Amino acid sequence: MGNIVEVEGLSFRYPESPRRAVDGFNLEVKEGEVVVLAGPSGCGKSTLLRAVNGLIPHMYSGEYSGEVRVGGKAVKDTSMRDLAQTVGFLFQNPENQIFMFTVERDVAFGLENLGVPRPEMRASVDDAMALLGITPLAQRAPHELSDGQKQRVALAGVLAMKPKLIILDEPTSLLDPKTAAELVELVGKLRSQLGTTFLVVEHRLDLLVRVADKIVVMSEGKKVLEGTPGEVLFGDQAEGYGVLIPAVTKLQKRLARMGIVGTERLLTPSELAEATWRGST
Amino acid sequence: MIEFRDVSFVHQNGVKALDGVSLTIGDGETVGIVGENGAGKTTLVKHMTGLLKPSSGKVLVDGVETTATSTAQLSRKIGVAFQNPDHQLFSESVKEEMAFALRNFGFPPEVVEQRVSWGLELFELERYKESSPLVLSGGEKKRLTLACILAWDPQMVVLDEPTVGQDSIQKEKLAGTIKMLSSSGKTVVVISHDIEFLWPMQPRVVIMKSGRVIMDGQAPQVMLEKEVLESARVAQPEMVSFYAAIRDRPRAPFVDPLEAARWLGVMKPR
Amino acid sequence: MMWLSGGFVFRRGTSVYHKIDPRVKLLISVLLFTTTLLARYLYELAIVLAFMLAVATIAKVLRRVGRTMLLTVTFSVIIFVLNFVFTRSLETSALYASRFVAIVVSTSLFFITTSPDELEQVMKTFRLPRDVVFAFVTAVRFIPVMMLDTIQIMDAQKSRGLELEKGNILRRVRNMIPVLIPLVVNSVVRSGELAEAMESRAYGAVPKPTSLVQYRARNWDRLVAAVAVVLFAVTAYSFYFVLQGIFP
Repeated sequence: MGNIVEVEGLSFRYPESPRRAVDGFNLEVKEGEVVVLAGPSGCGKSTLLRAVNGLIPHMYSGEYSGEVRVGGKAVKDTSMRDLAQTVGFLFQNPENQIFMFTVERDVAFGLENLGVPRPEMRASVDDAMALLGITPLAQRAPHELSDGQKQRVALAGVLAMKPKLIILDEPTSLLDPKTAAELVELVGKLRSQLGTTFLVVEHRLDLLVRVADKIVVMSEGKKVLEGTPGEVLFGDQAEGYGVLIPAVTKLQKRLARMGIVGTERLLTPSELAEATWRGST
Repeated sequence: MIEFRDVSFVHQNGVKALDGVSLTIGDGETVGIVGENGAGKTTLVKHMTGLLKPSSGKVLVDGVETTATSTAQLSRKIGVAFQNPDHQLFSESVKEEMAFALRNFGFPPEVVEQRVSWGLELFELERYKESSPLVLSGGEKKRLTLACILAWDPQMVVLDEPTVGQDSIQKEKLAGTIKMLSSSGKTVVVISHDIEFLWPMQPRVVIMKSGRVIMDGQAPQVMLEKEVLESARVAQPEMVSFYAAIRDRPRAPFVDPLEAARWLGVMKPR
Repeated sequence: MMWLSGGFVFRRGTSVYHKIDPRVKLLISVLLFTTTLLARYLYELAIVLAFMLAVATIAKVLRRVGRTMLLTVTFSVIIFVLNFVFTRSLETSALYASRFVAIVVSTSLFFITTSPDELEQVMKTFRLPRDVVFAFVTAVRFIPVMMLDTIQIMDAQKSRGLELEKGNILRRVRNMIPVLIPLVVNSVVRSGELAEAMESRAYGAVPKPTSLVQYRARNWDRLVAAVAVVLFAVTAYSFYFVLQGIFP
């Protein structure tokens, strides 16, 4: 199990900007990990994601220094075509990444672009749709679908290319809580079934902490915190960086300070209630 | 202030978005409307300012039916902040953007000037006064749309998913603004999926599902109804889940989830 | 707006006509269009229109086509008046005005029964460059989205006191600016996001992309095409050689 992503001393400045969007950033993501990237608005998360999938520097130019390697290949020296087969990117707005009028054709989009022969393409498309539970939607038009369904279509399109790493940019922002929970479950399922690595930018941590292996916090282009969800959320610094600590975690912290429960792992409300009752009797 | 009398609304394509909704919102209330996507929340809001007119039933604002007046007139009293700021920003400068609604409503130029300055200051947008609204960040755009509304000082403010895409610091500021609006007597209606954002406000909570209002009451009571919440695909605030799991045990120290939250320091004291 | 969406936006249908190969549907519309130009008398045009309405009935889109015709008549009145001013002939003016309506209907028949995917197939048959076809299909796919955006933008601006229904023509045009600017800006932003997504899914990686679906013309389609051509030939012949004798 090697590193899927290696970022070494990455700095990037957009041409019209006076300051660096990413400043001396280092990160390692192991294969099969789910890593959450958090931080206040404008901290450089979007820029970092694009430096990993290659949009920076291939689509966006600017002052670039440092190294980014994905699947062992240097992003700077690898074409988008090759990178697209290793890294998939699910953008924030599902609407603006669906091109075709029919769902199954959009799922096939990336494979068509790569010139994959039809039988193989058919199989990949069917598998991706089945995995995401959208097979019944195959002939539908995207504008008829709900946001949650659109997102699954977009994700199927990414999965069909069988990438090792999938980047998710604020995937739950437009979803209601139950649909968001379903998405997080899906991430967990894909990780265990396919061994896919996930790099997720998210503000709503309460759901993701269940599946995340690591949380990395960014501020003003720099990495300021890194650790397991427990380490980051139980620590005192996260809140200052605009990271939303789930209410139950704040509660657990407080109860831990009172000596009633421990902080070995993050507990759900009912687990915490159980532990509290035990700890106070 | 607003009264929905057995309102139903059917879309052109036959879909029933509202089904016999009867609801009254009084002056000065703080109301949270929750429910899954498609439950009818935004449709409900659009009926408040006459953007949509009921297929059956009546919507009355201060006693006047929405069919008897225009959206522009109703908006003077009810300011609605829609979810997507990119659907309304268009002016050459932030200053002009803020003046837009004020001019439409017929405010004299000196008052416009005054209100614009006030709004910019309140929302910390002064340094962008002459900039194009299109270059602001997502969070700043949301602040701007809210500033635009408060500038014309409506009696009631409706916020449709105000926390989408906001980090925790921005959310706190927003909660503070809402508190300020409530304490100055304004009626505030918030549509939100973010139950943890709504919970500390302790609003009246209206749960919608499939175009109907399935529950309507004060936050502490409504949030305890786990089955109802689940059927509406609404999350239960974590504090309430904790409280519910622990209250039936012997010697549980709390009387209600509100008290529990304050006692455990998850909410600020009153 | 209504005219454009009613007359030219594709909506899914289950009729036999919808299932015909799009290239044949294009042929039919082209033949109808050509017959319109060949008609030199109002009664000939009436025959062509009858054909069109027959097609519309088979395609189960008669109501939509009827509405499009009515809305187009309002435009064609201008043509009638202009023509009358210059030719002083009622019959000629009526002919030109009716021709306009017929042309619109023949074109409309094609677009309302042909999905963007089928349009793409037709464009590929004509060997149009891939980028052009892709841009076109993507644009069409976003038409319903943009229509929805427009409504939402209008709602947002109405909620800021913008009057879109009252006022003279000059004022109403000016009041469209707060609606058009966000629409345009959103389109530009959308293009940027689409470009990112395209790159990330390897667009342009290979000069000849493969295709998930393949359209093959069936014998049934060929038969329909043959029938259409025969009908056209007969009608054109009648216009020029037969009916002339009966109705001088």
